[in-house]
Amino acid sequence: MLLLYALHRLLGPRGRRWLIALVTFVAGLFYGLEYFYPAKGNPSANFLTKWIEPVSIMFSVIGFFTVGLGVYSLCHVHGRNVARRRPGWHNSLAFFLSMIAMLVFAVWEHYLHLPEPPPAVLPWPKGVYEVLFNGLFAPLQAATFSLLAFYIASAAYRAFRIRSAEAALMMGAAFIVMLGQVPVGMWLTSAIPASGPTAFFRLEKLGEWVMNWLNTPAQRGITFGIAVGAMAMSLRVWLSLERGTFFSEQA
Amino acid sequence: MGTLLHANWFMTALFGGMSAVIVASVLLAQRGRAMFIRRIPGLSGIEEAVGRATEMGKPIFFSPGLDGISIVTLQALAILSHIVRLAAERMTRIIVGICDPTVLPVAEESVRETYDSVGRAEAYRPEDVRFISDQQFAYALGSVGLMTREQTATSFYFGLFFAEALILTENGRALGALQVAGCPEPTQIPFFIATCDYVVIGDEYYAASAYLTREPTLTGSLVGQDIVKAVLLALMLAGIVLVSVLGPAAHLGQNFLVDLLAQGR
Repeated sequence: MLLLYALHRLLGPRGRRWLIALVTFVAGLFYGLEYFYPAKGNPSANFLTKWIEPVSIMFSVIGFFTVGLGVYSLCHVHGRNVARRRPGWHNSLAFFLSMIAMLVFAVWEHYLHLPEPPPAVLPWPKGVYEVLFNGLFAPLQAATFSLLAFYIASAAYRAFRIRSAEAALMMGAAFIVMLGQVPVGMWLTSAIPASGPTAFFRLEKLGEWVMNWLNTPAQRGITFGIAVGAMAMSLRVWLSLERGTFFSEQA
Repeated sequence: MGTLLHANWFMTALFGGMSAVIVASVLLAQRGRAMFIRRIPGLSGIEEAVGRATEMGKPIFFSPGLDGISIVTLQALAILSHIVRLAAERMTRIIVGICDPTVLPVAEESVRETYDSVGRAEAYRPEDVRFISDQQFAYALGSVGLMTREQTATSFYFGLFFAEALILTENGRALGALQVAGCPEPTQIPFFIATCDYVVIGDEYYAASAYLTREPTLTGSLVGQDIVKAVLLALMLAGIVLVSVLGPAAHLGQNFLVDLLAQGR
């Protein structure tokens, strides 16, 4: 990695583009070759399979260095807010306090080396960590997730307007599927026998049919298109054919 | 049926054939052959959206999704580059909120280079490409806070999104922002359609760079994709007929297509 970095700094613009293209090609070739080179045995493996895990770990470690960049970016933005007393600077101060508190107590808790099972009375750093993580962070995440229910209701209220034939069809399908999921819907068509040719007209069966026979094939069709598009884009990136967008214009 | 950990000869031949079609299409396009791309409303709405922000004198917000450096995010950054070019030419501020820290340096470089390329290097503000959080909902709330404080007129969501998509778009809608979204995750598309003004669906997402730049390499690749899809469709129809007629038998000779694709024999 150091050698590549040194080469990247020493070479001119044209040389750098060739270096990047070469590294990209070799990296992609490794994974492609591992997948396509004939594999033998049980579990099947070829001469590259044993390198997959170490290479993946290496990339993860390299990527982890960017966490420091993220922290720097946050400190830079919020530091300027606090230093210049911009409107809402107290929120930036809260960011620093919470980040430092979480960092200190998370690291401290990690190195406490508590015995298994832990003692009945926990050391106070562990207690503070539990309050911060399980008492604040996890419930905040859960609360935000729960907001989705209300957002879905408001989005559905706006979206389900019968303005055209397609909208009416969508409304009808949504009506059937939603009723088929709840006991009230099952109760509405409970008079229809559960087995036999008429069972299909029970709301839960109709809803199931809409999901399995209409919705799922449509989603799979979209997924096929996405997969082919991803394959084409992967080829372009691997062969360094992607130009003029996030790569340099000069390339 | 399980996932093939290693390709069998059929998958290798199929993938090789698909790649050859795409590369051949690219080469044909590079030699000057005109290739037609239909209008994609979601991508045509990008210029209108940037124009709206310019007229209102308010900034643009762009989110490249939750993923790290992947094909999805690279495509999002390609679209970001185009939007930054449009915004820079119109002297409109654009704020990029990053979730994965590995994307941060790439996004910064992409935005800075784009400002340089249109001769507006002085307009680039490093704090406008900022890391928010790598936690899903913290990122969503941080982005919403950013959009609310900055009163963004337009919001773009291109990349990989999950449950936080609705939080972002509902709040953007409440702000009165014009929203354009594109996500290759089929489960999120309905939420974007319900809340955004323009949505790029499915493989239109990967057609974006070709559509926006009209570069021969990219348009050729797009046409190659469509040919490959047609071939896959033919294979699927053949598989449907074979399974319907012969039955999904497991051993070789009775349903060779199922054997080839599912079990590697």
